[in-house]
Amino acid sequence: MSAISPAPSFATRWWNGTGVVRLRREGAVAPIGAFVVFFVVYVIINPALLTRFQLQTAANLVVPLALVALGQLIIVLVGGIDISIGAIMSLCNVVFAVQLETMPVPVAILLSMGVGLACGLFNGLLVAYGGLPAIAVTLASAFIFGSLAREVLDRPGGGVTKEIYLATSGELLPFVPVALVWLAVVAVLLWLLLQRTALGRHIYGVGSNMESVRAAGLNARLTKLLAFGLAGVITSFGAMMLAASTVTGDPRSGDPYLLSSIAAVALAGAAFTGGRGSIIGTILAACTLGLIGNLLFFAGVNSYWQYVISALIIVAVVGIPVVWKRIAFAARGARS
Amino acid sequence: MTTPGTSSVTGTPETVGTPASTGPLGTAPGLDTGGPADGSASPSPDSSSPESPRGSHASFLSRVPRAVWPLVAFVVLFAVGGLIRPNLVTIDSLIGTATFAIILSIASYGQTIAVIQAGIDLSVPNTIGFSALAFLTLVGPLGPVGAFVAALAAGALIGFFNGAVIAKLGLTPIVTTIAMNGLLFGVILLAFNFSELTVTPDFVIAITSAKISLLGITMPAVLPLGLALMLVLQLVLSFTGWGRSLFVVGAAAETARLAGLPVDRIRITGYMLSGVLAAFAGIVIVGYYQQASATMGASYLLASVAAVVVGGASIFGGRGSVVGTVGGALVLGQVSTLVTVLNLGANIQQLIYGAIILIVISLYGRRRAA
Amino acid sequence: MSDPTAPGPAPATTAAPLLAATDLVKSYGPVKAVQGVTFHCNPGEVLALVGENGAGKSTVAKMLAGAVTPTSGSITVAGEPLASGSVKQSRLSGVRCAFQELALVPDWTVAENLSLPDGAPLRGFSQKKSVAKAKQLLEALHLPQIDPRAAVDTLSLADRQLVEIARALAGDPKLLILDEASSALTPPGVAWLFARIRELTARGGSVIYVSHRLGEIAEIADRGTVLRDGKVAGEFVRGGWTDDELISMMAGREAERFFPSPPPRTTDAVALSVENLRAEGLHGIDLSLGAGEILGIGGLQGHGQAELLRALFGASPAQADSWTVGGRRIRRTTPVRAVANGLGYVPEDRKREGLALEMSVGENLLAPWYRAYQLGGRPRLSRERGWIDGILNALSVRTRGPNELAGSLSGGNQQKLVFGRWMNRDRTVILLHDPTRGIDVRAKQELYGAIVDLAKQGVGILWFSTEVEELVHVCHRVVVLYQGQVADELIDHRLTADNVVGAAVGATGSLAAQTAAAASGAPISSPPNSNVAQEGLVR
Repeated sequence: MSAISPAPSFATRWWNGTGVVRLRREGAVAPIGAFVVFFVVYVIINPALLTRFQLQTAANLVVPLALVALGQLIIVLVGGIDISIGAIMSLCNVVFAVQLETMPVPVAILLSMGVGLACGLFNGLLVAYGGLPAIAVTLASAFIFGSLAREVLDRPGGGVTKEIYLATSGELLPFVPVALVWLAVVAVLLWLLLQRTALGRHIYGVGSNMESVRAAGLNARLTKLLAFGLAGVITSFGAMMLAASTVTGDPRSGDPYLLSSIAAVALAGAAFTGGRGSIIGTILAACTLGLIGNLLFFAGVNSYWQYVISALIIVAVVGIPVVWKRIAFAARGARS
Repeated sequence: MTTPGTSSVTGTPETVGTPASTGPLGTAPGLDTGGPADGSASPSPDSSSPESPRGSHASFLSRVPRAVWPLVAFVVLFAVGGLIRPNLVTIDSLIGTATFAIILSIASYGQTIAVIQAGIDLSVPNTIGFSALAFLTLVGPLGPVGAFVAALAAGALIGFFNGAVIAKLGLTPIVTTIAMNGLLFGVILLAFNFSELTVTPDFVIAITSAKISLLGITMPAVLPLGLALMLVLQLVLSFTGWGRSLFVVGAAAETARLAGLPVDRIRITGYMLSGVLAAFAGIVIVGYYQQASATMGASYLLASVAAVVVGGASIFGGRGSVVGTVGGALVLGQVSTLVTVLNLGANIQQLIYGAIILIVISLYGRRRAA
Repeated sequence: MSDPTAPGPAPATTAAPLLAATDLVKSYGPVKAVQGVTFHCNPGEVLALVGENGAGKSTVAKMLAGAVTPTSGSITVAGEPLASGSVKQSRLSGVRCAFQELALVPDWTVAENLSLPDGAPLRGFSQKKSVAKAKQLLEALHLPQIDPRAAVDTLSLADRQLVEIARALAGDPKLLILDEASSALTPPGVAWLFARIRELTARGGSVIYVSHRLGEIAEIADRGTVLRDGKVAGEFVRGGWTDDELISMMAGREAERFFPSPPPRTTDAVALSVENLRAEGLHGIDLSLGAGEILGIGGLQGHGQAELLRALFGASPAQADSWTVGGRRIRRTTPVRAVANGLGYVPEDRKREGLALEMSVGENLLAPWYRAYQLGGRPRLSRERGWIDGILNALSVRTRGPNELAGSLSGGNQQKLVFGRWMNRDRTVILLHDPTRGIDVRAKQELYGAIVDLAKQGVGILWFSTEVEELVHVCHRVVVLYQGQVADELIDHRLTADNVVGAAVGATGSLAAQTAAAASGAPISSPPNSNVAQEGLVR
């Protein structure tokens, strides 16, 4: 677990007394709790998770989802939602895979990131400067990016090689899957950006109350635009990790991540009105959702149950605090 | 009453000037966005006639109901198709496009209801799948009519859970319906034995793919069925207390609550109707295509929202119509026909869909400045 | 002092003014919110900008702050033209503004709100440093009780306003604009604010003090400009004016306000009664409202008035030892049940809580009366045409007809719709949340008339108003709330403006005495239960 959770959660606790408060405000407590419970159950049912092979498989399963969920989180933080995130992922995925056939690896990576950035900025321009609702804009761009992805590569293929697989999805050290290291690097950088730069705080502020941010003399539209661009880049990381771990580019590979990225952000306790949501919560939520299928497999349960259980976990984790507050209020009222 | 002439002149500043007047800080807290509508600012209370600032903007064009525009767009596209390929202008071609469109419409009616109440129903795809498979499974034990009723009841139950979680627990509609969609997918995979589901009952074929002749035109039965359903739903939405309450809830939920409307009940019944309509769509799709699979609804996830948006509904709620949705579906259907005829490929079709949605939302997708 | 009746350009005074606004105009579509306002402000001076609600004060303040781009006209600060429409440019020119409606980001901490507006977005940000800086600033400004690490939305309204003012003061501005910045402050808070203003002017800074509270203006303003209907109606200098002169300048031809008298009570029947009503922000309220009685609710913002109305209507959860509506006992209520029991509610925010702006006038009137299984839409409108026309006529709603969109009406007419939907519908009690706020004088008169008519028909009216004169003149009786409890009940000869204001500040002493007490070290923040309300205090 310590390998999955990036340093920040400890860092905030040590350096800054507000860290715990912030985690609570950002809704991260419930998903962290849910993950701990889930992890304990998992290890009890399947202690073999802690073997090298299984750790690596599990990491390769959850890391793309965690990265895409982080992209979705950034959009949600500025008060939007990205319906096109699956299509962006597909597009970055095939661009990466196709470019690898002819170009050196760094160029392919940069191109894929560039495509993610461009997609994000396209959405961001229309949302921030066009004043259009994010959900409708990204619905349109979902069609557009999806069709572009299939123009680039119309069936699974591309030039992903074994070396790339090892570099992204192999093992760095025994018991340390590379994928988790990459995720940790991205998460820490993102955490630094969101918590330790003014831009990051602006992103939270724009989602919390855009008009207040503008009234304070800050460029709220630019902040929103940059948030969309950033989300696009992070999504492209997820796309590349997916391409590498499956050793193929697939123009439909991103489709399932649309709903699951939103589900992960919801499970992370982020506010869909914007302004609240945590990185650590999102990563752990993605891990929980991503590993349910595995858990069921090892528990000997039909793994189709994973869909049912995921849904119930989301509703429970998001809904229980609401019900709890209501009960607590009623109890308080009855006492007084 | 303003004449079209004068109003179109005064109308210009509003349509053109919206970005400017909501300026860089257009709706900063406390700034008089309310200015114009805040009668306080109105200079002379004695000006008897159009004191209302925005009313005088209402140009002739904006008085045309929104639902008409997608239909106009469809006619234009149809004419364009005729110019490119004159042999496209046939009744058969029209019927073909309309049939495609009406099936998409039926799948989008429920979505329309959800969007009007400022929600969204992303569980449409697997509600379609679930009801279709449940219907086929239950035809044996319950008979076609029994299975039909049972499938619709399942849709209502799905909608009830969506609505109850949204209204009572306060979860976002997007998250709730995504969770429901996932849950249903699991149930579909767990509950149904696909190998046994091959026979489509005649009763369903009779109301969907069976060719009937109406006014001397041969068409699949689903076309008049879908249009009749549209008529009924539009009447319910426009002319019943429930329908209008749904619009009030969608336009301003807090207003509805403080006016004493039973907001939770309206929400829940709205999602139940969405669920029933999606379930009905599932049965229609099974009847028309005569095949069912676990992922049969997947393509309707985005398409149903697209049809609703192109049909002129506001994604913020309080605005929309099933007639518009049918128009939106017709536009998308005609694009699909043209793309097929011109042999452009499915990718280009998706690209055009995206472009159309962008055009539509840039025309009236902005939140109306209050 | 200049002649109060002669509006005109600013008199030529000493040296170069710090701020000169010339011929400012701001139009929203066809409506001119500000039409040709000219004034100036000298270094070290406190200039008051006064006027009634909607006179254009806030729009002018926002143009100075850069939050609103003037349609035409020029603003210069220390001789340099101010780049219009950019808050950032205004800040760089040394102009800071504390907005009436708070411009703090609710999810940011106090420290973040204080420090983030300055500096480039890509600069690093340290919570620790910003908290230390904020602590220093707050202590320097004598606000040590505010925790810089607290998220703003956990603060009371008064504390948020203090933070907002602190933020404006932080950059040692040349020109400080306070746009109704004292609306949520308690008298000690106001005293704190005045001390800061005097510090600032002593250093040569200027302050533009936008307010309609004459008492504060008398104390702090060196000069003043009166706005009416978006124009300069007159000017005044310290000591050279009386309340009456200023009021008539502000109100123009409406100087002689007409307040109808409450109708004589004909019955002793009780329309609504509660004992020991408890809810968030309410600590045991006893209240009894008679049929045909107009009962006013007074008090400072945020002392439980909004909560009281919401609780009585069931909009927020509440409990009481005994609770009757129209003689029927109830235990608790919801809005649906409240309407069924004969209540009606005119909420605070007509745009968000009162109307569906995208729906028609007729449907907005009918909204509470829609039943799922009955007709709706146009057929229902034509069936109820008589009732709708009756309401529109009785309230003189200026509209093209029931099919016009509610959003295209002016504010006063919108307010009439929210009120009108409860008329002639067999109501027992109508709850009013400051229905006359921000609407023009004529609409106010029409609402007063309608309220009195309803009382004549035997409807009990519970009326919360921020305007003391209304309460004193139109109500039978006024109950003043303080810290979520009934501070005083005023009737007959005790029902005077002074008594309402006195009870509102928690004592029967005068405002000035309170302020003096505060200056000698009393706490500045108001009680924490004041998160709901928005606008000003009684003047």
